[in-house]
Amino acid sequence: MTAGGRAHPRSAGGTYWAPARGPRFCCPVFAPPPGFHGALSDSLLDGASGLKLHLEWQVMAVPVPWACCAVLAAAAAVVYAQRHSPQETPHVQYERLGSDVTLPCGTANWDAAVTWRVNGTDLAPDLLNGSQLVLRGLELGHSGLYACFHRDSWHLRHQVLLNVGLPPREPVLSCRSNTYPKGFYCSWHLPSPTYIPNTFNVTVLHGSKIMVCEKDPALKNRCHIRYMHLFSTVKYKVSISVSNALGHNTTAITFDEFTIVKPDPPENVVARPVPSNPRRLEVTWQTPSTWPDPESFPLKFFLRYRPLILDQWQHVELSDGTAHTITDAYAGKEYIIQVAAKDNEIGTWSDWSVAAHATPWTEEPRHLTTEAQAPETTASTTSSLAPPPTTKICDPGELGSGGGPSAPFFISVLVTLALAAAAAAAGSLLI
Amino acid sequence: MLPAAGEPAAGDSWGMLACLCTVLWHLPAVPALNRTGDPGPGPSIQKTYDLTRYLEHQLRSLAGTYLNYLGPPFNEPDFNPPRLGAETLPRATVNLDVWRSLNDRLRLTQNYEAYSHLLCYLRGLNRQAATAELRRSLAHFCTSLQGLLGSIAGVMAALGYPLPQPLPGTEPTWTPGPAHSDFLQKMDDFWLLKELQTWLWRSAKDFNRLKKKMQPPAAAVTLHLEAHGF
Repeated sequence: MTAGGRAHPRSAGGTYWAPARGPRFCCPVFAPPPGFHGALSDSLLDGASGLKLHLEWQVMAVPVPWACCAVLAAAAAVVYAQRHSPQETPHVQYERLGSDVTLPCGTANWDAAVTWRVNGTDLAPDLLNGSQLVLRGLELGHSGLYACFHRDSWHLRHQVLLNVGLPPREPVLSCRSNTYPKGFYCSWHLPSPTYIPNTFNVTVLHGSKIMVCEKDPALKNRCHIRYMHLFSTVKYKVSISVSNALGHNTTAITFDEFTIVKPDPPENVVARPVPSNPRRLEVTWQTPSTWPDPESFPLKFFLRYRPLILDQWQHVELSDGTAHTITDAYAGKEYIIQVAAKDNEIGTWSDWSVAAHATPWTEEPRHLTTEAQAPETTASTTSSLAPPPTTKICDPGELGSGGGPSAPFFISVLVTLALAAAAAAAGSLLI
Repeated sequence: MLPAAGEPAAGDSWGMLACLCTVLWHLPAVPALNRTGDPGPGPSIQKTYDLTRYLEHQLRSLAGTYLNYLGPPFNEPDFNPPRLGAETLPRATVNLDVWRSLNDRLRLTQNYEAYSHLLCYLRGLNRQAATAELRRSLAHFCTSLQGLLGSIAGVMAALGYPLPQPLPGTEPTWTPGPAHSDFLQKMDDFWLLKELQTWLWRSAKDFNRLKKKMQPPAAAVTLHLEAHGF
């Protein structure tokens, strides 16, 4: 009875029993004679204790699976190497930065004649104490593969993979809920590196109940906890222990459910000028996408803005809505605007959002040369394309008005300047 | 509950508390309801929400003062005792999915019952050693809390839900242990304030949810205005 379709046409074989759960053999059991023609199929006779593989031939050429033979050859080489060397893998050793270490040459006698090498480079004999290598004041550069050889025969006697590092200092742990009420996450790091591998173990206790902290799929120093109950009066305690080959350390933090709530910053902050309104800017944003339930857990927002040329921020707090119109922008000045979010009742403000830049609407500059040269228009037609005599953008007289500078307006410009200065002073007092 | 001769009247005060609470429980709160030009429960839900915020703000200073009066370890920020005793206190904690799926009536009822209990216990928090200033702050807070209860009752009446009446035997009595020590009494006070604060946070969220559900559609509002404009 044939079970499946055709197997690889190049594999050859005969009939043999294979264990029910054993690996399928990829290598030929019998090498077929060249030119032999046949069909390959599997057949399952009785499933009780084994498979009877009923293989037939279908070969187009000499069917030696090179991959299989290469594997066999490599295995043979490893076995040979193992037989002829004293140890398969080097002994891994961790030592503390700044300490002294003595490396014995395996089981060799103290007075044996040996040479030491590190990463293939010979080491000076003055570091030796008999057959032992003495390293003082270990530095990070001392890490490497140390090997000792019988001096005359260059027979490898012992290998040590030395890793120089430090025991861990107290880890820094913090927890935050940016997805309230779904859950919170905790992240940690070491204040200074240890230079050797560390393992971290986090435990979360809610009162006396142990909660599961699921590892973050992307970040290896973060884990996530799901809230089972809301509005709890019992604090959460998160402890972390870090350990490596040279030591270990722990720390713990305790907090209430409400104190760690901090949303992500608002997203997609866009500021646009308002046509025909030289002092307005329209700002829109979106609630952070990580906040799961803005309906039941509404956010309030804090907006800050200033012209790039000034250092003082203006602030506006908004209890709802994701849009606001600034009505006191300085005409023609580029503004920088940011928004932050907070749960209406609990927790802390988010970080500031990515900044949006915008300049309020300004009227297109009129080409004054056409007016001034009106009596002389017959002279040339290109004068209308000449730029106006003064640049309009920097003119403070533009506040609210669209007129160009000319002699009769000079006094009104002065007055407007004075008013603008007074308004700015008043504004800075109010901030 | 007759006090033993020579002992401070601890048992007596619990007895009075139980008596007082029973009396208060049977007093129906007066619903603050304005039926003229009924705009729906929306404004009163907003008012209730605002009251919870006001109370939460008031409680912060009151609790700080009271915990300092209790002294360490109660006024330490890291104080994290196991929740033992004070089992009769209404607990704000609730399973997330259960809280989400509460219907309006149940949501309001739970709030109403919780604050009735808490108000009762708070009134009993009149300790002999308390300063006059503390007593004044507590009394002021109790009055505000009474206002919140009235507001919740108003919302329930506007929505047509009956006010919860206590079943006999479930009245908030507080039976003291054989030797209700001074420390245990302080622990009870601590949990009362903690639970009160948590309930106020929860109520804000509860009323947020109710507010969103009760928001009248824009069309209905404009029709209402037009009708008055003849």
